[in-house]
Amino acid sequence: MKSIYILLFTLLFSAISFGQGKFLTKQGYTSFFSATPIEDIKAENNQVLSIIDTSTGTIAISILIKSFMFEKSLMQEHFNENYLESDKYPKAIFKGQILDFDSVNENENPVTIVGDITIHGVTKKIETKGIISKKEDNIILNGDFIVKVADFEIEIPSVVSNNIAESIKVTYELDHKPYKK
Amino acid sequence: MKSKTTNAINISILLMILIGILIYIKVYNKPFANISESKPNVSIESKELIDSFFNNENEANSKFLEQIIQVRGLITEITSGKNGNNIITLGDKNAIGGVTCHLSSEESTKTNNLKIGQQINIKGICTGYLLDVILVKCVIIE
Repeated sequence: MKSIYILLFTLLFSAISFGQGKFLTKQGYTSFFSATPIEDIKAENNQVLSIIDTSTGTIAISILIKSFMFEKSLMQEHFNENYLESDKYPKAIFKGQILDFDSVNENENPVTIVGDITIHGVTKKIETKGIISKKEDNIILNGDFIVKVADFEIEIPSVVSNNIAESIKVTYELDHKPYKK
Repeated sequence: MKSKTTNAINISILLMILIGILIYIKVYNKPFANISESKPNVSIESKELIDSFFNNENEANSKFLEQIIQVRGLITEITSGKNGNNIITLGDKNAIGGVTCHLSSEESTKTNNLKIGQQINIKGICTGYLLDVILVKCVIIE
């Protein structure tokens, strides 16, 4: 008799912990791409922190500006020192909500994500589409969106304004694992 | 006579432009710091590094960001990132924060003999603090 209670309790508990809880990645990937006729600039970041709370569908993402790796060190230097001022604003942050989160399953489903994105100390509302799926225990969220450099008060000197696009394409791939502890 | 001086001026202007272009190319293609051959700016225990960020992130940022840091600690996790490079986490198993060291691709081949709980020295560039202190372009010292 006692063992049945234990079994029921375990089942119930595991059901709760599977459906509801926090999913996290510390090694999320994001990149951005600037295309101009003069040159293409790409930077990649493999240290994105992203946390999804499955009970509410909220998502919080933190990105270290200095973790963006460029092909050329001079680009990386200018990006950090002059454009993003990463000593003053070391992180980019997104806080928001994955709408229709309940429909997450093994298939790759489109979702709408709304929230506030903060880059270079400037916060903007954003609404974007992503693709979400559940693989084994992980929740995978992929997508891309366009960021306008001027929206975030990032000043590009006129000398290099032809080398840097006004609209930058940001791509992300976030593979969240269930958070234990 | 006159044409000789103009020639000389023309040649020197041309030379200056050439030198300018060469300097520009050199600066434009300036290489990244070679971590394995550079001396670390800071040598520190993993616990001390985590504590400095945990206690005062701003102060730690100004002290450690973009510095080559050699950190010593116990391995708590060895994983592999999306790009195939290995990631070694240093710290205390019972503590929440650690030091995540993202290895360069050449160094990723050297992790086979490493074990969880082993003491190790790793050198890399600090890019900041999220849940962990993050070092990139890491090389294993021993």
